[in-house]
Amino acid sequence: MKLAIALLAALAFAALPLLTSSNYVIGVGISALIFTVAAAALNLIYGFTGLLSFAQLGFWGIGGYVTALTVVTFGGNFWWGVVWAALLNAVVALAIGYPTLRTNRHAFVIMTLTFALLVTLIARDWVDLTRGPLGIPNLPKPSAFGHHFATTGQFYWVAWAFSVAMLAFLYALCSSRIGRTLVAIKQNEPLVRAQGIAPMPYKLSAFAISAAVTGAAGGVYTFHLGIIDPLFLDFYYMQTFLIIVIIGGAGSFWGVIAAGVALSALPEVLRFSADFRMIIYGVILVIAMFVMPTGVAGWLRERQLNRMREQLR
Amino acid sequence: MTAILHVTELRKSYAGVHALDGVSLAVEAGSITGLIGPNGSGKSTAIDCISGFQKLDSGKVVLAGNAITGQPAHHIARAGLMRTFQTVRIYERLSLRDNLAIAAQQFDPATWVDEFLRTRRYREAVDKAEGRARELVELIGLKRYWEIETGILSYGQKKLVALAAALMPHPRIVVLDEPVAGVNPTRIREIEVALAELNRAGETFLIVEHNVEFITNLCHRVIVLDQGKKLAEGTAKEIHSDPRVLEAYLGMTPEMAEAEMRGAA
Repeated sequence: MKLAIALLAALAFAALPLLTSSNYVIGVGISALIFTVAAAALNLIYGFTGLLSFAQLGFWGIGGYVTALTVVTFGGNFWWGVVWAALLNAVVALAIGYPTLRTNRHAFVIMTLTFALLVTLIARDWVDLTRGPLGIPNLPKPSAFGHHFATTGQFYWVAWAFSVAMLAFLYALCSSRIGRTLVAIKQNEPLVRAQGIAPMPYKLSAFAISAAVTGAAGGVYTFHLGIIDPLFLDFYYMQTFLIIVIIGGAGSFWGVIAAGVALSALPEVLRFSADFRMIIYGVILVIAMFVMPTGVAGWLRERQLNRMREQLR
Repeated sequence: MTAILHVTELRKSYAGVHALDGVSLAVEAGSITGLIGPNGSGKSTAIDCISGFQKLDSGKVVLAGNAITGQPAHHIARAGLMRTFQTVRIYERLSLRDNLAIAAQQFDPATWVDEFLRTRRYREAVDKAEGRARELVELIGLKRYWEIETGILSYGQKKLVALAAALMPHPRIVVLDEPVAGVNPTRIREIEVALAELNRAGETFLIVEHNVEFITNLCHRVIVLDQGKKLAEGTAKEIHSDPRVLEAYLGMTPEMAEAEMRGAA
């Protein structure tokens, strides 16, 4: 049932460029798709495994730069750029995850935050590679099988196909025994160990997969923007992913997907009031947190549990 | 009878205090062995060291002929020693069914590739675990909670879930850390009956517990710890009349105990 609805929603999304010719609306659609993927990746490490990672921003940035540099500096194409972005991020995640995951959860948060800041510094100061604040402009739109995805509407389908593939992959992962084990690790790590399961490989894999997906998403988004500069590592992105996960309900796959779409559109819908839109946006978020402190999915789940308690009485 | 668990000269100290000062014990296969002692006598430290949750300073732990001394907890679990915890540990936000499925997961041969391809090996493993889980849920009387998040259960019911989870993979030995502490008396009786039944079916238990009646009713052998040393060992009856045990537990000499009893009479 859920899958059928998801499939229908995915198809409906594919039709967006046929319904409108507005580049602005299609651009919002691309953002919604890509941000949802990045949020779903954050959900894997934070919502499922219980590790709050600010490194996502760093992976996002590395993904963007690697994809851009693959095309501009190393003469590759966009597709390989995205693949390299994913692979390199997975390796980086393993390298920083191996030591940091041995510390406690609080230290993990600090270390991932430090990593994100470090990536920002590199993007700004390693001028020979990244061109520093000047950025890398005029990124060419990709082509495949002789088809050039030149317009925003055409690029939208690239973003759509990418998002559907990534979300399907993440769904398969989260709904498998691996996903269930991640949830178990989040809830009670000593018990997991007492049941013969070593938590470290699970945490490390979740971190690496989350990094790879985020990096690939960053790569695709860079080519939507057509330019990458250190602003791509603005904290705005991390904040957006985190808000989507928290409002959707950390640990709920579908809750985060729904929130991804809704919250990417919300600031745009509020444009009727240019002066106050970010304030209204903030107020909506605060109210949402008051009413549903565990996100939409958590709120629904709580209601369901209460019904069960009633029945058991 | 052969010992399934053999612990020799276990030592562990924290900042100069000897929590365990050369404790040796053995658990016979198919038995229920009790481990008792006053607070701070080293019972919990002993089972934490045996199950790999704490590093021991010296000593030897052998499970079914294999040395497991100092191995990480998940290795020891895979070798066949399952344990529960004093403060109940279950996955509160997962259903009873999932709680039990995860407990058996590491012990079946199916890999994630099997799961992805839904191979026969995967389906068989899942069916087997599900069968075992239903059997145990029947035994602990929580059948109606099968699909329900375990967080809403009562404390005593949660203890039963933890017990069932520990039994899921057919371990060689189950170590229970205070299985009835904080549980209401009727429920204690139920747990007692369930454990006796499981033991008749061949399960081996090592139980740390303060409830003397519970230990007396269940255990074939009782080991008493005091100040990190083994004070006494024997049947429950022998232990009851051991003057050293009375003194350690109640802080009185046998004469005082006798005087007290006369006074009561």
